[in-house]
Order: sequence, then C-alpha cells, then structure tokens
Amino acid sequence: MSYYRESIKPLFLRMASMPLAIVLLMVLAIASVIGTVLLQNQEHADYLNQFGPVWYWVFRSMGLFDMYHAWWFIGLLGFLMAALSFCLWHNVPRMLKEMRSRKITLAEHAWKRMQHTHELSLPDMDMSVVTERVEKVAGWKWLSYQEEGRTYLRGDKGRYHKWGYILVHSALLVVLIGGWMSVQFGFRGNMAVPEGGMESQISYVKGTGVESLDMPFEVRCNNFEIDFFPTGAPKEFRSNLTIIDQGKEVVTSDIIVNEPLFYKGVRIYQASFGDGGSKVGLKLFRLDGSKRIDVAKGEVYKTYTDSESGISMEITDFKPFNVENMAAPGQAKKFQDIGPAVDFILRGPGLKPVKVRSFMNPFMVDGQNQGSLIMVSLSGDNRDFQSFFLGPDLTNPKEWDLFHAFGQKASGAADGGSVEAFKAAVREVYGEKMPEDIQDLGIRTLQGVNSLSSLPWPFVPVLDDFDQVYYTGLQLARDPGMNVVWVGSALLTFGLCIMLYVSHRKVWLVIEAQDRGMRVRVAGLANRNLMAFDREFNDLLRELDDTLGLSKQGEQV
Amino acid sequence: MTAAVENSFFNGLYQGRVVHARFWLYVGLMTGASLLAIFGGNGYDENDYIYRLLSIQGVIWCGAGALVGAAASMFLGGKSLSKLVPWFDGLIVMALLMALFTLFEPHDALISYEDQANLVSGKIVMAMNLLFLFSAVCYIMYLFAPESFIGKMATMAAWAGVYAGGTSLLLRWYESYLFLGGDIGHAPVSNLYEVFILLFCITCSIYLAFESRYQARGMGAFVMVLVSAGVFFGIWLDSIGQADIKPLVPALQSYWMKIHVPLNFVGYGAFAVACAAGMAWLFRERLERRGSSPMLKVFPSLDQLDQLAYKAVAVGFPAFTLATILGAAWAAEAWGGYWSWDPKETWALIVWLFYGAYLHVRISHGWSGKTLAVWAVVGFLVTLFCFVGVNMYLSGLHSYGRLA
Repeated sequence: MSYYRESIKPLFLRMASMPLAIVLLMVLAIASVIGTVLLQNQEHADYLNQFGPVWYWVFRSMGLFDMYHAWWFIGLLGFLMAALSFCLWHNVPRMLKEMRSRKITLAEHAWKRMQHTHELSLPDMDMSVVTERVEKVAGWKWLSYQEEGRTYLRGDKGRYHKWGYILVHSALLVVLIGGWMSVQFGFRGNMAVPEGGMESQISYVKGTGVESLDMPFEVRCNNFEIDFFPTGAPKEFRSNLTIIDQGKEVVTSDIIVNEPLFYKGVRIYQASFGDGGSKVGLKLFRLDGSKRIDVAKGEVYKTYTDSESGISMEITDFKPFNVENMAAPGQAKKFQDIGPAVDFILRGPGLKPVKVRSFMNPFMVDGQNQGSLIMVSLSGDNRDFQSFFLGPDLTNPKEWDLFHAFGQKASGAADGGSVEAFKAAVREVYGEKMPEDIQDLGIRTLQGVNSLSSLPWPFVPVLDDFDQVYYTGLQLARDPGMNVVWVGSALLTFGLCIMLYVSHRKVWLVIEAQDRGMRVRVAGLANRNLMAFDREFNDLLRELDDTLGLSKQGEQV
Repeated sequence: MTAAVENSFFNGLYQGRVVHARFWLYVGLMTGASLLAIFGGNGYDENDYIYRLLSIQGVIWCGAGALVGAAASMFLGGKSLSKLVPWFDGLIVMALLMALFTLFEPHDALISYEDQANLVSGKIVMAMNLLFLFSAVCYIMYLFAPESFIGKMATMAAWAGVYAGGTSLLLRWYESYLFLGGDIGHAPVSNLYEVFILLFCITCSIYLAFESRYQARGMGAFVMVLVSAGVFFGIWLDSIGQADIKPLVPALQSYWMKIHVPLNFVGYGAFAVACAAGMAWLFRERLERRGSSPMLKVFPSLDQLDQLAYKAVAVGFPAFTLATILGAAWAAEAWGGYWSWDPKETWALIVWLFYGAYLHVRISHGWSGKTLAVWAVVGFLVTLFCFVGVNMYLSGLHSYGRLA
C-alpha cells in the first residue's frame, strides 16, 4: 500500500496532469512498439504454438495479430485527429487575431517583461526625422504612433511565425485524412504471372486471412529476366508486361524494382519472382547393372512417377544458376556458378522421403572434373543440403560404360587386381587410345563403385535438359490518398521550418523630449532563440547609433 | 604577424561580397549539376551521371551554373544564407582530398572484390577512428585543464576526424568502381559500416558548429564519448567482415537512397548531440548540488545546455521528418505503398512521436530542466534502437541494413 502511495500515485498524478497531446503521442508511440515486437499477420496456428491457448486468446481478442488495424489503434488515431481538430479550432482564431493586432504603444509596467532594454540620448531633432530614419533600418517592419508628446515605434521580425503552428497541425490532419482515404478507397495486393501467362486477380492479406480482388484489366507477362552481378547476387529483375483492357492490348512496358508501371490509377510493381513451371528432363541411370538410361519429362510444381519402380519425384524448383562460394572456410571468397539444378522430393515404397537437388553439369574445380553431383537434404529443408559426389561424370556416356565394364571385370578378379581390371575396362571402352585424365578417371570410377552402390534408390536422377519459365511476382496498388499525403507532408515540413526557425522578435522605441535633446528607450522581446536575439538586439542598437548619427554627435553632447 | 595576416585573409573569405558571391556560386553549381542529372542523357543513371559529371559535359553544366550563380549574386542584394558557405567549402575540400588520395590507390592487381584490404579508404577510416578517440581523450582532459591548449587540440582533432571520415566515404564511392568492371559502384550509404562513418561526421560537425557559435566546448567530452563508442562498434563491424563493399540489392538501386539515407543521419546526428547536451546538463546539475567544483567553470550554464539540447532537436526534427517523408516517397515507388507498418517505419514513427512530444512540452508548455534533459537522453536511446536495434533484432523490409 505504501508502495502505491509513494511510487505509483505520484506517477499517476503526474500522468493525469500531463497535457493531453503529450499523453496521446506517448501512448501512440508505446502502442506502436507492440506491433514491431510481435510479428504481424502470421498464421493462427503459429501464434497458438508460440503463445499457448490462453495468451493466444488474450492477444487475439485485443487484435494484436493485426494491431495496426485493430479497433483500438484506429480509435487512437481517430482520437488524435479529433484532438488536432479541437486544438486548431481552439487556437487558430486567437493566433490570427494576435498576428493581425500589433500594439504600438508600450505600457510602463510592460518594461519589466522585456529581455533587453537600452537607453540613448539624442540631440534635439525633429521627431519626424527620427521616425523616418528609424523606419529605414532594414529587416524590421516598423509602425509608429504618437501620443502625449511621446513617439512610439514598433519593429517586428518574423511576426508570421504562428503560421508554423497552424501549418504543422493542419498538415498532420491532412496526412491522417490522406491515410484514411488510402485505406478506405485503395487496395494493394499481389499476383504471380508466369511467362506467357495472364492474370487479372490480386490477393492480399486482410487480418490474418487472404482475400482476392478482380482488376479491371488483365496483365500478361511476356518475358522475365534476371541480371546477376559477377558475385552471383541479383542485379536487376525485369518484367516485360502487356496490359490487356477489354480484350485490347493497351500498354506494353518493362518494369523493374523502383520503376513501376502506372495504368488507370493502378501502379504495378516488380515485387518478386519464382519458377513458373519450367519443363525439365531428367535422365534416370538405372543401377540394376543393365546400363539402361531412361528419360523422365517433368515440370516444376508437378510430380513425375517412375512406373517401373513406383518412385515419385515432386519437382519443387528449378534454378539455372547456382552460385556457390568455392573457397575453403577462412580463405578469401571465390564465387563460381555450378550450373543449372532441379529440386524435387523423392518418395517411394520403403524409402524415406528426401529432398534432392540434381545438377546438370559435372562439378568442376579449377578445370578438373570431379564427376556428377547431387545434393540431398534429409530434413527437406534447403539449408540442410549435403553434397553427394556420384563418381563418374554421367554426362559422358563413356564414363557410364566404363563404370559398368569395370564392375564386370573387377567382380571376376581377385583382391588387389582392381588396377588390372580398370586397365582392361578402359581398353574395352576407349580402345587403345588412353584418355588423358586416366588418373582422375580411375579415382572417379572407383568412387562410383562405392557411392552408387550406397544409394537406396534403383536409379540416379540427373538433370539433362530444361526449358525455363519464370513467374513474375507483381504488386498492384491503387492509392487515392497518396497525393493528399504528399500535400500534407509538404505543408508539415514547411510549417516545421517556420515553427522551429522563425522566432517572433519585437522591438519598441519610445522617444520623448527631455531637458536637453531627447530620450530614446529601446526594448526588445523574442519568443525563442534568445542567444541569437542578444546579438540581433545589439546589431540594431549599433545601426540606430549609425543612422541617428549618434557616434559623431554623441561626443559633442 | 603572418598569423594575423592569414587570419584576416580567412576572415575576409567569410565576409561581405566574397561570401555572398560564393554562396550563389555554390547554389548555381548545384543547380547546374541537378539540371545535368535531369536533362543530360536519357534519364538518370548513377554510373552514367557520375562519369558525365566528371566529363567535359559536367564541367560545362556545373561551370555555367556557377557562373550564372556568381553573376546573379550582383543583383540579389544582401540576400544569401552565408552561414551555409563554410559547409559547402568543407565539402569541396573533402572532394579535393579524395581526388588527392585516389593517386595513392594501389595497383589494379592488388585490388579485388574478394580482398579489399589494400584500399586506401580503409586506412583513412583508421586515421579517422584514431582522431576521434584522441579528440575524445582531449575533450575529457580539457574538463580538468580548461586553460591549456588541450581544448583547442580536441577541437582540431575532431575537425580533422570529420574531414578524414568525409574523405574516406567519398573515396569509398570511387573505390566501389575499381573492381568487377565497375559493375557494383554505388554511393557509400548502403550498409551499417558506411552509415556509421556518416553518422560520426554529421554528429561531430553539428556539435562543432554549436561549439564555435555558442562556446560550448565543455559539452565536447559527452559528444565525443558517444562518437567513440560508435567508433568501437565500427571497428568491430570491420573485424567481422562487414566493411566490404558489396553490390546493391535491386531495391536500393535508386537515387532516393542518396537523399533518404544522409538526411536521416542529419536527424540521428542531431539527436546524438541533443543527448550529449542532456547528459552534460545532468552532470552539471550533479556537480552543482555537490557544491562548487572547478569544473563548473568549464561547462556552459544549465540554461545554455538546455537551449543547446533544444537547438539540436530543432535541427534534427525537421531533417528527420523530411527524411521519413522522402522515405515514404521512395517506398511508394519501390514497395507499392508509402507506409507499410514495417518495423523500421514504425520505429521511425516512434522516434518522431517521442521528439514531437519533447517539442510540445518545451514549446507549448514551457517545461525545461531535468525532465527534458532526461528526455533527450532517452530519446537518443529510442533513436539508437530505431537505427541499429531494428536491423539487428527485428525483421522487415529494411532488412538489407542487417548484419549478414
């Protein structure tokens, strides 16, 4: 209880006494944090897993999974708009009036409020001459008034600074209205168009579900290209699109990231890409000793089933380039493209399903052929791919023959006779003319005996040819509030500059006759940037000295 | 004697006609360069533009702009923002230094994408690190020995550091064209390491401007300690291989990057200075409560520190606002919408709301003193999270700022 009285209560009182605007800004700031920490718009099952049923329902009932569209967050923004409107309605008339009225005279009791006061003596001069000369001091807006033998002069600088306040607050209102218009009358969604295909429907995330919307036109993707840097990182994604409106081709244009296409109020952005159903041909090298090679024709996103063994291959992806870092760990990086590869999930009777990546080309290191390569991921996750060197270079039919010839000869030979068997096999396949890389060939063939026999499958699938098709991922958005937001933003920036950099500086000169000559009292007041005003006030005094001829005549007096 | 002559010569450069004409000359030069970007060639292309700028065509456009500007200055009376001229001069000096250092680049055979250790810019960054650390030490010593020359040395080291940092960044820009056939060349504001250097330079120059204008050298220790912490972070980034020049992802290949990123760092840098002023305020207040201390003489008064913090926020807030708006404009061009509640965007909004509230309590409600000093410090922590924390801990569309 005492804890409450000592810590919480004062805090609470402090909170309660804080001006509404600040509380509102801070509450909005704190609320916004939640949405950045809690991943938004995920699957409900994931949330349930992550938080357990109790917290899941608590969070769900508060709309925290789509927080920026939750009723209470929208309510907060609405409240902010209301507060802004009230603030403007309350203050603007008063400010306009203040800016218009400039009181020239200065009451005696007001002198105490002044940040700067100064007194000068002038020789007897005509009052009108003094006024005229003072009014010539540049940079100040002067007004003069005469009363009871006294002349009042008032100079202003930056007297429109209150426009800063008005502009900033109304600009925020404009931005919020623009944002509301965007949400209310706009849309934003994605479509995937395969090369050569057409699409007219976008899908978008609403809350934690997905909805779709028909566009008033169709988009055809004629072509999609990726350019790569020498490092293998993508340099440019480019789609060639044709817009078809009511059966007619209206626009054909290229789009890249950062350069969208604009048609009928809709912007079309390059957002992503992927395989659009490439056709791939695989060679199945039978491992039953029959030397048979079958051809499997498949397509990405489809499943090919080998009727002979009952094994199915669900083809998931195809990539024409696979740039890998070839350097040993710790050494300077060395990137090399190891050629096209196809990914598929291999399932079969009595087999553990695995993900396989099969490369079209043999693996080459510094010009040395290391034989055909596949990668296998036991978990099915791309990060778990492990290289598996098959041994022979299967793109070369002679190596496949050699592998079998060696197998036959070696099975008949005694232990240690494998060198002889290999030589005989080479003679059988290549004739008398020995290939140049006979050493490597030997190693590869020997490796093949070990590795190919350890495979649980009745064949080795090796990518043979492909006809690549991409899909281009487009984002389509219509945003009728955007221009309103830009207007608001411009006003906001402009207003902020006025508000923060223009200070209202006022000076008064009160001139009255005294025994000998005249007495001039100068007073100055600024609403901010007092350090600069100190200097400015002194500059003004110096200028007054000059223009009124004080520096010369002052000595005579 | 010569010193006095030099002094008057330098002062002369920043007075009257000379500075006035130079201001408009710079304005003309920049206008010429912008017009070249817009009308020269077929639309804007970074590599093309840079080569154009350095070619005869660039000399013609910029030179014509400068001449027109200088000529126009005669008809513009006293209207110029002469306070900006030293900043332009500084940039020109940096560009000249950069041009000088390109002569020291090693032979092509020693430079490759895979091994960037031989590049000169890395060595200049190291010099910058040392200068900033040295300056921080001097500023701290200055608090104990205000009469000695050490204060001047601190200021000079900080200035030298700013020039080293700026030059190294410009040099990095040039160096990014040296390998892989110039294919990956881009402005040096694309990863954490580069923007950290930018942040040091901007923070220091804002502080140094304040120092020379308001005699606030006592605050330097706090600014430079912040910068030093950043320097160590930068060294760490370098040590884990994050300092390499890498190709830009397609989303970043836009002229917006060169506007949005530096402007954001004007905001961040100014908030860092405000934070330092806040810390100095709290420190001085503690000293005052403890009674008299010789150090009190060195520090600006509480009131001045309060004003300085506000001034820094007043520089940073509009810059940050504009940077966020331009970021939104870029998002509208690259991501399909000006606002996506991406973590970085949301944190930028949080920072904006935080300082917006700061300005409210200060301007409309006249608060000052301890609360605002603490506010400025906390505000910078929020800013830091927005800058580094979001990249390290949260995912989102700004994820290319991540540590890879």
